[in-house]
Amino acid sequence: MPDFTDTLRPAGPGGPAILAKERDSSDVPVEQLAQHLFPSNDFLGRQERIVPILENNKLFDKSKQQNLSRPERYRLGLARAKQLRRYADQYNWEDEDLNVAQYLCDDVSPYMVHYSMFITTVREQGNEEQRSYWLPKIEAMEAIGCYAQTELGHGSNVRGIECQARWDPAKGEFELHSPTLTASKWWNGTMGRTANHAIVVAQLLVPKSAESKDYVNHGPHPFIVQIRDTQTHKPLPRIAVGDIGPKYGYAPMDNGYMLFDHFRIPHSAMLSRYSWVDPNTCTYSKPANPAVVYGSLTAVRASIIMHARLIMARAVTVAVRYTCVRRQFQDRDSNDKRAPEMSVLDYPTVQIRILPLLATMFALHYTGAAMQSLYENTRAQIDQGDFSKLAVLHAQSSGLKSLCTELAANSVETCRRALGGHGFGGGSGLIQLNNDYLSKPTVEGDNWMITQQTASYLIKRMSAAVAAKTEPQDEVEAACKEWLHQGHDKRSSPLQIFDSDEQLVEAFHRRSRYLTYQAYIEREVKNRSWNSLLIQLRKVSHAESQSILVTNFHKALQNPSSNLPPPLKAHLRKLFQLFTLYTLDSEARDFLKASAVSDEDLDRLPDRIQQLMAEIRPHAVNIVDAWKIPDFLLDSALGRYDGRVYEDLFNRAHRLNPLNKVTFNPYYTSDEIEMGGGDGELRRIVAKL
Amino acid sequence: MSTIPQWVKNLKPAGPQGTELLQQERNKSSVDVEQLSNFLFTKDGLARKQRVLEILQNDKVFDKSQNYFAGRVDRFETALARAKKLRQLHIKHNFSQDDKMVANELISEPGPYGLHESMFLITLRDQGTPEQHEVFLRKAEQYKFIGCYAQTELGHGSNVRGLETTATWNSDDKTFTIHSPTLTSSKWWIGSLGRTANHAVVMAQLIVDGKPMGPHPFVVQIRDMESHQPLENIHVGDIGPKFGYNTMDNGYLLFNKVKVPHISMLARFSSVDPKTGKYARPASPSLVYGTLTWVRSTIVMQAGGVLARGVTIATRYCAVRRQFQDRDAPEWQKGENQVMNYTTVQVRLLPLLATTFALHFTGKAMMALYAASQSKMSQDAGKAGGPQRGAGPEETNAGSDLLADLHATSCGLKSLASYTAVEGLEICRRACGGHGYSSFSGIGPWYADYLPTATWEGDNYMLTQQVARYLLKTARSVLKGVDPNTNDTTLILSTFLARQDTGAAFDVLGNDSDIVAAFAWRASFLTFEALKHRDEQKKPWNSLLVDFYRLSRAHSQYMIVKNFYETLQSSSPAQEGMGTETLDIMHKLFRLYALHTLEQEASEFYTSSAVTVRQIQLARANAVMKLLEEIRPHAVRLADAWAFPDWQLDSSLGRYDGKVYEDMFYRASEQNPLNRVTIDPYPDSPTLFKANEAAALKSRL
Repeated sequence: MPDFTDTLRPAGPGGPAILAKERDSSDVPVEQLAQHLFPSNDFLGRQERIVPILENNKLFDKSKQQNLSRPERYRLGLARAKQLRRYADQYNWEDEDLNVAQYLCDDVSPYMVHYSMFITTVREQGNEEQRSYWLPKIEAMEAIGCYAQTELGHGSNVRGIECQARWDPAKGEFELHSPTLTASKWWNGTMGRTANHAIVVAQLLVPKSAESKDYVNHGPHPFIVQIRDTQTHKPLPRIAVGDIGPKYGYAPMDNGYMLFDHFRIPHSAMLSRYSWVDPNTCTYSKPANPAVVYGSLTAVRASIIMHARLIMARAVTVAVRYTCVRRQFQDRDSNDKRAPEMSVLDYPTVQIRILPLLATMFALHYTGAAMQSLYENTRAQIDQGDFSKLAVLHAQSSGLKSLCTELAANSVETCRRALGGHGFGGGSGLIQLNNDYLSKPTVEGDNWMITQQTASYLIKRMSAAVAAKTEPQDEVEAACKEWLHQGHDKRSSPLQIFDSDEQLVEAFHRRSRYLTYQAYIEREVKNRSWNSLLIQLRKVSHAESQSILVTNFHKALQNPSSNLPPPLKAHLRKLFQLFTLYTLDSEARDFLKASAVSDEDLDRLPDRIQQLMAEIRPHAVNIVDAWKIPDFLLDSALGRYDGRVYEDLFNRAHRLNPLNKVTFNPYYTSDEIEMGGGDGELRRIVAKL
Repeated sequence: MSTIPQWVKNLKPAGPQGTELLQQERNKSSVDVEQLSNFLFTKDGLARKQRVLEILQNDKVFDKSQNYFAGRVDRFETALARAKKLRQLHIKHNFSQDDKMVANELISEPGPYGLHESMFLITLRDQGTPEQHEVFLRKAEQYKFIGCYAQTELGHGSNVRGLETTATWNSDDKTFTIHSPTLTSSKWWIGSLGRTANHAVVMAQLIVDGKPMGPHPFVVQIRDMESHQPLENIHVGDIGPKFGYNTMDNGYLLFNKVKVPHISMLARFSSVDPKTGKYARPASPSLVYGTLTWVRSTIVMQAGGVLARGVTIATRYCAVRRQFQDRDAPEWQKGENQVMNYTTVQVRLLPLLATTFALHFTGKAMMALYAASQSKMSQDAGKAGGPQRGAGPEETNAGSDLLADLHATSCGLKSLASYTAVEGLEICRRACGGHGYSSFSGIGPWYADYLPTATWEGDNYMLTQQVARYLLKTARSVLKGVDPNTNDTTLILSTFLARQDTGAAFDVLGNDSDIVAAFAWRASFLTFEALKHRDEQKKPWNSLLVDFYRLSRAHSQYMIVKNFYETLQSSSPAQEGMGTETLDIMHKLFRLYALHTLEQEASEFYTSSAVTVRQIQLARANAVMKLLEEIRPHAVRLADAWAFPDWQLDSSLGRYDGKVYEDMFYRASEQNPLNRVTIDPYPDSPTLFKANEAAALKSRL
């Protein structure tokens, strides 16, 4: 409906002009940087091909989805998931294309667990017969599956799960049973409404012999189970399954609950590539090496870090573009009363929140890439059963998962708040992102729990280095040995962090070794209880992870094969320094204690950081542009590439908002809610509650 | 829903039951919950809460069970029905203002009348003349005029002086023309405006004879009193869905040269003479800031309670939830460990528990200060104002004016308190592990509704500049020799100056009053450092913003530590019946808050020589860890003292009786409308929902 607002324009200077100026005044080569960031797998090409397909289908229009109720939002998610799968057939997409399409659609899809954990588990843990039976059905989506491990009462501690699978030698079947309410499967994605099959992880109980009444618990094992009728889609008898209700985010996903009442499944349901129950003798055979699962877990964690960097890139893109367009207050020191208001990004209080994150995106990128290639390179060894390289990689990956997902989750919220009031609005584009991503610090290993794995490994290596009986088992132990050899456990002189990048990197190594050594003393020498050390152990893990991030960032810039043009390399080096010095500043005390930096240098840090931010500031827009996040994915009025911030905000409020289609009766003396609806309306509303 | 099979209904959680675990927790502690609750809220306050709770629980419209499921339009509709019902109950039960506030706290959702009942009425009352009270306020109090407060614009938030909406005086027909010249001048974010209000207080740049006079308030009718449709040349609507606050119709508003009569300009402090067209300035510029200062004091006071909700939920759930066996536990001790026994959980939750009390006591003290300044202000009201409205109160009479002190204090504390509550709630949510992500945790939705407090009423980062400006000004006056006893700020700054050459040796680990002195020392040190940068080194203001932020934070932390300490030292705990055992725990909470903060901000304490590196190390390694251990057994009872009814918490994880898992399961399986839908999951089929009992149910009604 046309009205007088159609002709209104934002007060000048307009967003497009501001961003054009930002882009013109920076010499950061956007396309070169983009190629540097996404060199493999044709990621940018796929993105460019798929965006128009989705943009042209109204189903993927995101403008109204925030208004939907939970059931409606799930319905939309299901419709999109089906459509994407049909596109995959229609355009002959590779798996990677479907992944990119899902990334762009930005729903946590109801099919997600089917495509990931369900199929992976069958592939990795099924024996040949099971694979050839199930995989065609799964790929054709006749069997739609989920992965049911976590329970109402148990998450991270897999050994504590309560669901049971009891082998009945007489009938030649397993009996799945949930003995308590807390044994209910819980949180399992795709299970609530969508799946007709599930991988159920249950405690395997097997009689001592075919005649015995005594059962032995062999621990958690995976079973593939049909849970719903393939025609009616109703739960099978003796199964209670449903959706667990609304969450902070993940609205299109049907995370579910599931209980079994003495539910019988055949012998072939137990996925038996590694462990097996002999149906006749009741003999149980164990997996050859329990480390087999580490390999894929490490790959998963590398991809979590690569994903985290894209999450940060989205948040920082929105924050950088909007804080350039947004102006607030004149410069206090300016004498010109009519000077325009300042770009918010010119305030150091805004820079200190956003620019270190801009640098952190790159830090995550180089470490994620390094882990991926390390994993690829050691894969051959892993396949031959040599896990020596993997142990250190696995231990490091726990700590990195914890630190990186935490950094990414917090970055979204930091960026959102740096947007001021509009950050709270649906037009910021950071709300769903925040809501969806916030699950990450607690899933796939709670961030506070898994740092223990990293710390425990480091302490072991330090113990070995102190004992000095054998050749170092890995690089960590070698580094511990070198640190001890230098006498750093006693005293040493600080490094000159402003003199060279190498010294700066070395400072991170030294501080990590120092904290590891302190933890070793507390645990191994003073025999302090594990529980009383948990907080310290987390610091040990984070220090090591930060040291890895800094090292990989530095290595990537030194790498001659990257062919970085010198001007671009100079910019990246500033980002390296900002990330490194900012991190150092926030953990200053540990560095001081470790004799890694001098007190005087610490005093100089804030000024140096502010100076680096001032140098990076003019290039911020070009740098985020190079991350190539399309507007379709950003879904943000504030972060639009073209800077038409206010026009878009107004359009969303005025034209796309369903609440504005209703006229309400605001007077309390009347029970009518919608104008013309009559007094019976209150009853209608109460009836819905 | 009737399809829950009997065998499911028969299931119990694996033991030990949550109820038993919480009972054990409560048995272990000697904290007297009732005494502490009375001290926090008074007996009258608790009785009031109980009375209002019963009234609300008896009305089906306040049933919360579908809140977490519904879409935006439905949620708003229900919120409007609740707002109306609450107003009806208000009249029926003759509610007092306090009853009303308690009811809102219990309902815990922003309602469509929210801004009418707060800023609209307050502004009419405070800034209207007696004649305007007659014309506007009376009808507003009867809810015939339903209003909002339209200040913020699409392009301008914190910087009020940058507002673009204009109100031009027309001397020929004695009217003002209200106009929105650009898209960015659209009013934006205005609560109760989107769909509810028929009037608005509009802040607009007053223009008289072509000269801008700064922003002034105008009362403007925006919707028809009968049809509730927008009036001609007014464009108004809701701004759309948000992170939280979705039960509130935050709105936008544009004017296309709308004429309003002379009486529309609220004229208690400044006015345009209708005959001569002459503009009269406000008597005292600071009066305008009074309302804002009151709002900020309230935010500080509330921040403690807001955070306490998250802490209550997380504390109870972490006592019920068990995970992993203790690595060092003896073989015979089989069961899993309560999560609350992990030091990594304690170090997150217990300092927050201490913070809830710290903020509560600080807020209380500020409210008292506000009341004192109100009476002083009315005495000063006759004094003439300065020639320009440019300066805020923090620049007028620094070092003496009570309002200046309060205004500066309220800025910094509002910033720190709301920031602490926001951060703290998220920490609580994450401490609940996976289940914290469920809406049924009760923390996520609560967090989302509270979040905007960190940006509105002045962005937290922007506000800290005002504190810094005030502290610098006071420091200059102290250097010039102002009487140290003028106010608390002059006192701590003078003390610092007097002792800076002899040095400080604060026994922060042995003496509580030394802790307060160490916080004062660090804030004073940072003040004089900033002054040096600004006045001697002539650094640009903009380059010092980060320093100012830290300075403000340091000063506010000092205020909190001081108020917490003084509350416990005063005679009031004993007078109000708190026993020594409970008081003793409160002292431990004080030390935990103070030493944990000291440790977090270690480098500033160290650089200012308030403490030594060795002391910081001891604080971390010994003092804080020991306090965690000592407070741990009392955590559940300390949370209980906040006296949140389950109905208010609306949380499975935070239930008083510990029936965490039963409640999670009940809400998921029986209250969840998605489970009334059977879907078609196959990609080739266009059907999405095969059967939708929920819709069928709805259409029958």
